[in-house]
Amino acid sequence: MENKEDRGYALTFKLADDSNLVLSKYGEYLYKNLIIFAPSVLEFGGQVDTEAISKFVDNGGNLLVAANSAAGDVYREIASECGFEMDEESAAVIDHFNYDASDDGEHTKIVVSPKNLINAPTIVGSHNTQPILFEGTGLILYKDNSLVLPILTADSTAYSYNPKSQVKEYPHAVGRKTVLIAALQARNNARIVFSGSLYFFSDEAFDSPVSKVHGDKMRADLSGNKALAMHLSEWAFGERGRLRVSRVEHRRDGETATTNTYTIMDNVIYTIEIEELKEGKWQPFVAKDVQLEFVRIDPFIRTTLIHKTNGVYEAKFKIPDVWGVYKFKVDYDRIGYTRLYHSTQVSVRPLQHTQYERFIPSAYPYYVSAFSMMIGVFLFSFVFLYYKEEAPKSKGD
Amino acid sequence: MPATAIANSGSNNGLFGNTAGLSTLITVTVLALAWLAGFASRLFAVIRFESIIHEFDPWFNYRSTAYMVQHGFYNFLNWFDERAWYPLGRIVGGTVYPGLMITSGTIHWILHTLNIPVHIRDICVFLAPVFSGLTAIATFLLTSELWSRGAGLFAACFIAVVPGYSSRSVAGSYDNEGIAIFALQFTYYLWLKSVKSVFALLMAIGALKYLHSLSPKGQFKQLLIVGGITAAGAVFVAVVLLTYMGVIAPWSGRFYSLWDTGYAKIHIPIIASVSEHQPTTWSSFFFDLHVLVCTFPVGLWYCIKNINDERVFVALYALSAVYFAGVMVRLMLTLTPVVCVLAGIAFSIILDLFLREEDLGITNSNGSDENAAGKNLYDKAGKVRKRSHELTPQGGDTSGLGMNVRSGTLIGFMILLMLFVVHCTWATSNAYSSPSIVLASYGNDGSRKILDDFREAYGWLSKNTADDARIMSWWDYGYQIAGMGNRTTLVDNNTWNNSHIALVGKAMASNESAAYDIMSALDVDYVLVIFGGAIGYSGDDINKFIWMVRIAEGEHPKDIHEADYFTERGEYRIDSEASKTMLNCLMYKLSYYRYDSGGSPPGYDRTRGALPGNRGFKLTYLEEAYTTEHWLVRIYRVKKRDEFNRPRLPVAKRTISTSNMISKKSSKRRKGTLKNKPTIVKGKKVSRLE
Repeated sequence: MENKEDRGYALTFKLADDSNLVLSKYGEYLYKNLIIFAPSVLEFGGQVDTEAISKFVDNGGNLLVAANSAAGDVYREIASECGFEMDEESAAVIDHFNYDASDDGEHTKIVVSPKNLINAPTIVGSHNTQPILFEGTGLILYKDNSLVLPILTADSTAYSYNPKSQVKEYPHAVGRKTVLIAALQARNNARIVFSGSLYFFSDEAFDSPVSKVHGDKMRADLSGNKALAMHLSEWAFGERGRLRVSRVEHRRDGETATTNTYTIMDNVIYTIEIEELKEGKWQPFVAKDVQLEFVRIDPFIRTTLIHKTNGVYEAKFKIPDVWGVYKFKVDYDRIGYTRLYHSTQVSVRPLQHTQYERFIPSAYPYYVSAFSMMIGVFLFSFVFLYYKEEAPKSKGD
Repeated sequence: MPATAIANSGSNNGLFGNTAGLSTLITVTVLALAWLAGFASRLFAVIRFESIIHEFDPWFNYRSTAYMVQHGFYNFLNWFDERAWYPLGRIVGGTVYPGLMITSGTIHWILHTLNIPVHIRDICVFLAPVFSGLTAIATFLLTSELWSRGAGLFAACFIAVVPGYSSRSVAGSYDNEGIAIFALQFTYYLWLKSVKSVFALLMAIGALKYLHSLSPKGQFKQLLIVGGITAAGAVFVAVVLLTYMGVIAPWSGRFYSLWDTGYAKIHIPIIASVSEHQPTTWSSFFFDLHVLVCTFPVGLWYCIKNINDERVFVALYALSAVYFAGVMVRLMLTLTPVVCVLAGIAFSIILDLFLREEDLGITNSNGSDENAAGKNLYDKAGKVRKRSHELTPQGGDTSGLGMNVRSGTLIGFMILLMLFVVHCTWATSNAYSSPSIVLASYGNDGSRKILDDFREAYGWLSKNTADDARIMSWWDYGYQIAGMGNRTTLVDNNTWNNSHIALVGKAMASNESAAYDIMSALDVDYVLVIFGGAIGYSGDDINKFIWMVRIAEGEHPKDIHEADYFTERGEYRIDSEASKTMLNCLMYKLSYYRYDSGGSPPGYDRTRGALPGNRGFKLTYLEEAYTTEHWLVRIYRVKKRDEFNRPRLPVAKRTISTSNMISKKSSKRRKGTLKNKPTIVKGKKVSRLE
C-alpha cells in the first residue's frame, strides 16, 4: 500500500463492516478509486452494497478487488455485475503440477508462469519474467463478453474445486479457462481489476522466493507478484493507457477554414491530435495503426492515419461520389488503452446547379431533340396559321 | 348575397336579351359569388381550429416554401436537406415540383413589395381556397368554349363547392393539387381556344403548356394522325417490349398499379399501404360528387351527340378520368373537373328544354330562388341568361310540354341542386376540414374537445432534444417532425427509398435487441410512435403496423415474416392470443409500455377493443422520454452504448448460484457483517476453546 501513497494518492482505510461506509455524499463521489481487500465480508456496512459499487463504476470510478477461496456472495455479486463469475465458496484453484514448495499439501499455492499473462504491456508491464505466486479462487469468463480481459490464466493442469472434498462434479473452471486475474474496462473507461487471490497482493507473496516442485522446477529468488501488482494497480487507477483527442480538424484540400458541408468528389484533409497520459502528463501518442473511417451507415472509406509530428495524425482522401450525411470516425480500441472514439458529422451534398459542366458530349442528342422540337413547333404554328387562310373551304368540317 | 342576385335577375327583366353588357355583368357577378362561396366553404378548418398547415405533405411544402422565401430561389434549387432521410439526405431542389413554392413565393414577394407584411404561412394556408376561385373561372371559360356560357356558369358553381375538389383544397391544405386543378383547367381552356381560334398568342401559350395530342383540321389532321400514330405506336411497342424483357423499368410502381390494380399489393407494399392509393368505392363517388355523378353522363352523351373537335377532347378526358378515378381514390380529383363541366352542360341543357317559354322561365327562376339557398341563386341566374343565348341548337320537340310538367321538373331540379349544395357544405365541413394534426372530439352534449397531442409532442421534441437529434418514426410523420419539431428524420412522406423505409419497418417489427442494433447503426436518438388506444384513434401505428411488416419483409425476407405477426387462425390481434413475435416486437412494446389508461380495466385498448396481451414489461434499450396528454404520441429515448456500461451477467445466466442473502442492516444498525469475525462480548471473558 505504501507505494500508492508514494504515487500521490490520498488513502482512506475503512473496515468493510464499518457502519459509516459511504462512497458518495450529496451526489458527489468521495473517492476516485476503490480497493476492496476484504474477502471475509458478508455484507458491507454503511451505505455500501453491490448496487452502490456498480453505480460507482458506472460513474467512472475504478475498482480493485481481491478475493480468496473463502470470499462470500457479495464478491460473486460484484463479479457478476462486471460480467464474469467467481467460483463457488471454498473452491480454490488447484494445480498438482505447478505448486510452490511452500505449499501446505493442498496444492493451492500455485506458481504461474508469466507467459500466461495477457499480451498487453500497458496493463501488465513489459518486463514480467519472474513466476507469479497465486492462492485463491478461480474466475470464469465468457467468450461473448469482449470487454472482460483475462489478465492471468492458470496452466492447463489447473482446475478450480474445493480442495477438501473429492471431485464429484465437473469443475466450473478447468485448465486455461481458469482465470486468476480478470479485468474489465467498462464503456465509460472505468477500470476494474478482480483478482481471485488476496495472497497475490500480500507482502508475503511479494517477498517470497518461488520454487516449483514439479515440471521445469522453475525457481526465482523473488516472485513477480510485486511488479505485476504495481502495474495492475497503475493501470486500474488510470495512470497508464489513457488516451484522449485534443484536437480535430477537417477541411477541403487547399482551404484553411473548416467546414461542415462538403461537395461530392472533394479532396479532404482530416487531422486529429491524440495524446496519452504518461507520468501524469499528457504527451503525444505515437502509433501506426490509427484508422479513420468515413461512414454513412457503412464505411465508404477506411484509411490509416499517417502520423506527422507530436501526435498529430493526418489523412487525405477524396470524398466518394455519393451524397448524404457522413461521419468522420476514429475508433481506436486497443487492449489496455481507453477507447478512443471520435466522430464528426458532416454533410456531403451534390453539385450545385452552377457546378455542372455546361455542355456534355453525351447530352448532344438531347440538345438536338430539344431544339428541333422548338423549331418544329414554331414552323408548325407558322404553317398552320397561313394554311388556314388559304383553304377556307375545308372549314365545313 | 341572395339580395344582389335577385336584384340582378330582377333588374334585367325588362332589358333582357338586349344588352350584352348586362349578361357580362351577370356572368361576372355569378363568378365572383362562386369564388366567394368556394373560398368561404373552405374556411371551416380555419374557423374551427386555426390558421395552420394540415396533414402531412403540406408540411413539407410549407417547410420548403419557407426555406425558399428565407434563402432565395437559387439556394432553394440547390438545397440539400441533411435533416431528412438521415443519413442519406435528400436533394430537395432537384426532386421537388417547385411550382407551388414559386407561386406562393411570388405572392409573398408581391405583397411585401407593396409593404403588406403577410407571413408566408398565411399565404400557404389560404393559397388553395384562393385558387379554387380561379379554378371556377377557368372552368367557366373551358365550359363556355365547349358548350355555352350558361353551362359554364353552372360548371363554375359546381367546381367551386364540389367535395371532390374541396377535399384537396381546404384552407391549410397546401399541396400541389390546390393549384394543379386550376392549371389543368386553364391549360385545357387555352388548348381548346388555340384549336378553335387563329390567335397565335394563345396557340403559343397552349403549346407551351402541355400538348398531348393535336387535333387540327383538314389534311393536317390526317397527316398528323398518321404520322403521330405511327411514331407513337413504334415507340410504345418498343417500350413495352423492353419493359417486358426487363431491360428497362421506365415507370414507377404507381404507374403500373394504374393498369393492374393488384400490382402494388404484390410487388410494392409501400404503395398499397397508402390509403389514397386504394381502389375507389362506389360510395365515395357519390360522396365526392353527389348529384353530379348522375348527371355527367347526360352531358357526355350530349357532347358525343353534337360532336366537334373540342367535345372529342372532353369526351376522351372524361372517359379516361373515370377509369383512373376508379383505380385510385386519389385520382378522383382529376375526375372532378370534367364531371363538373359535363354536369354543367347537362343542367344547362335540361333547364334549356324546360324553360323554353321565356316569361315562364323568369318567374320560375325567381320562384325557386326563394327556396334554394346560397349557391343555387347563381346557378339560376346563369341559366336564365344563357337560355336567351342558346335558343336554337336543341330539338324542338319539347316545346309542347305542359306548364305543370315543366314547373314540376324545374322544382325537382332546384331541390336536387339545393340538396347538392347542402351535401357539399356538409361534406366539406365534416369530412375534409380536419387538419389531422389537431383532433376534435365531441362530447354527448355537443361540446368540443381539442386534442392537440401531435403539436404537443413535436413541440416537446423541438424544445427538449438536441438540435441534431435523430428521430425514428414511421414515414407518415416524417414531414411533420421536420416541419413542426425541426429535427432530423430517418424516413418521411417522400417515399423515395424503399429499402430505407424497410429498414425502419424492420426495426419496428423486430424484438428490442435486434431493433437496437438497427437503431444504433442508424444513430437513432429518439423513437416516436403514435398510439391511439387511449382515445380510440384508429389511424395509429399499431393499425399501420402490418404494412411495416410487409414492407420490411419485402426487403428482408429472411428476418421478417408476415405470418409470424398473425395468430394461427390468421387474425391480427393484440390481446393474449396474439403471436409471440407480435407481442415482443418493438412497435408493440413502445405502444403499450406502461399503458394503464383507456377504459374500465386499466390498459384497455379502445381502438382494437381488447386488453393487450403483453403488459407490465420493462424496456431494456429504450426509455420513455415523453408521452402526450392522451397517450397519442409516445416518444422514447434510445439508450447509448455507454449506458450499458458493464457487461452485467443477468441472474438467469449465472452458473454459480448465489444465496439470496437477507440484509441484516436496518435503519439504525448500519454495520456490515464479516465472516468469522471475532466477537467481543462485553462483561464476559472471551470464550475459549475447550
